[in-house]
Amino acid sequence: MIFRVRFAAIILLLGTTAVFAAEPTPLPSSRPLSSEQLAKAIKIDSLTIPTPGELFAAFEKPGKPDWAGQYRTPIPMTYRNRGKIALNLGGLIADGFIAVQAQDSQQVKNIGTDIIKLAKALGVSENVLSRGNSISEFAENSEWDALQEELEATQNEVKASMQSHSDQDLVILVSLGGWIRGTQVVSASIVKNYEEQSAKVLRQPAVVNFIHAKMNEIGPDLRKDPLVKAVSDQLAAIEKLVTFPPGKSPTLEEVRKLNQAVTKLMDEIQNKTEAK
Amino acid sequence: MRSRVTILFGLAIFALGAPLRAQTDEEVEAHKLVLDLTGAFSNEGFKLRDGHWTGMIKPQERALIAVNLFAGNQYWFSAAANTKAKKISVEVYDESGKPVMTETYNSGDKASAGFSPTSSGQYFVSIGLLEGEPTTFCLVYSYK
Repeated sequence: MIFRVRFAAIILLLGTTAVFAAEPTPLPSSRPLSSEQLAKAIKIDSLTIPTPGELFAAFEKPGKPDWAGQYRTPIPMTYRNRGKIALNLGGLIADGFIAVQAQDSQQVKNIGTDIIKLAKALGVSENVLSRGNSISEFAENSEWDALQEELEATQNEVKASMQSHSDQDLVILVSLGGWIRGTQVVSASIVKNYEEQSAKVLRQPAVVNFIHAKMNEIGPDLRKDPLVKAVSDQLAAIEKLVTFPPGKSPTLEEVRKLNQAVTKLMDEIQNKTEAK
Repeated sequence: MRSRVTILFGLAIFALGAPLRAQTDEEVEAHKLVLDLTGAFSNEGFKLRDGHWTGMIKPQERALIAVNLFAGNQYWFSAAANTKAKKISVEVYDESGKPVMTETYNSGDKASAGFSPTSSGQYFVSIGLLEGEPTTFCLVYSYK
């Protein structure tokens, strides 16, 4: 019976996609849009939130940073708290993108293995688990572009699996974990070697605002979770730290403050004291 | 090849964070059409985001989606509609709602707009149905 229900859920999952009611506004084009029109724009996790890979691609345009210098020591694989696992899973996927930027096959394989271990802990589908093999294969063959796409596909599949298991509240935590880790790495690199042009990528107030709004929609049980609450509470301050006038770069001191804030969050997220 | 499998598998997974329902044949068709269009950008080194957005649009109307882009990257936003559409458009607006100058490609029921932002932040992508009957569209984007 359980198998049948699961099978039906998988069929439903494979045969569906998210469709969002467009809120059409009349043409003609080429005129500025009103604030009412902008407020009605659709926002979806899978397109409105950029991937860490997208951030890293922009960041390395002026000059390739020392990506390998941004590796961190392996995180525990034994977390019990589902919110914590989801946040760390997002962080690990960002680590995967870092390893791809560094073109480090072994590191990509190591992280791919860890991603699958954490995903298993959340009880995700077999489809996600098979992604681990693909990641290894692409890393083995140094197919870096394919790896970027595979990492994002893996993340989306994890999220889809969460939704099918009524864990939709965890989805935004995966995105948030990836955003925090990506921002930590980029801000740390900028602090080491400040360049105005590179620092421009840190202007992301709308991303944080969107994530914060989604965090406010999660169920009361998960929202009461101490880690989730702590992370959510700090987002308003972080939104201010990534808000600058259009086209303006943050100063070195502003980047340093942002780095300190996201590093503090990352430390809380990967804190081992709650691991088994 | 594997990337294409990944992309095709994306047909079966979600753009996340919203209510789900069965994907219609028209949505599948629009997604297939837009993936055909983005193949050219992939050949130019653009990476395709795994997510996509499908919806319905009526003549002389537009649908808007918010995206967050980075200064330094180049982007192409591509949309396709099913055969009921005779002409669609893709346009980009900055966070204040001002139109952004883009390179454009238009082939009736398919259209793309490309640009390189000089400021990181939120932008809005508009899909408009200029001629034709109410139709289903699909939007994706690529970056490098």
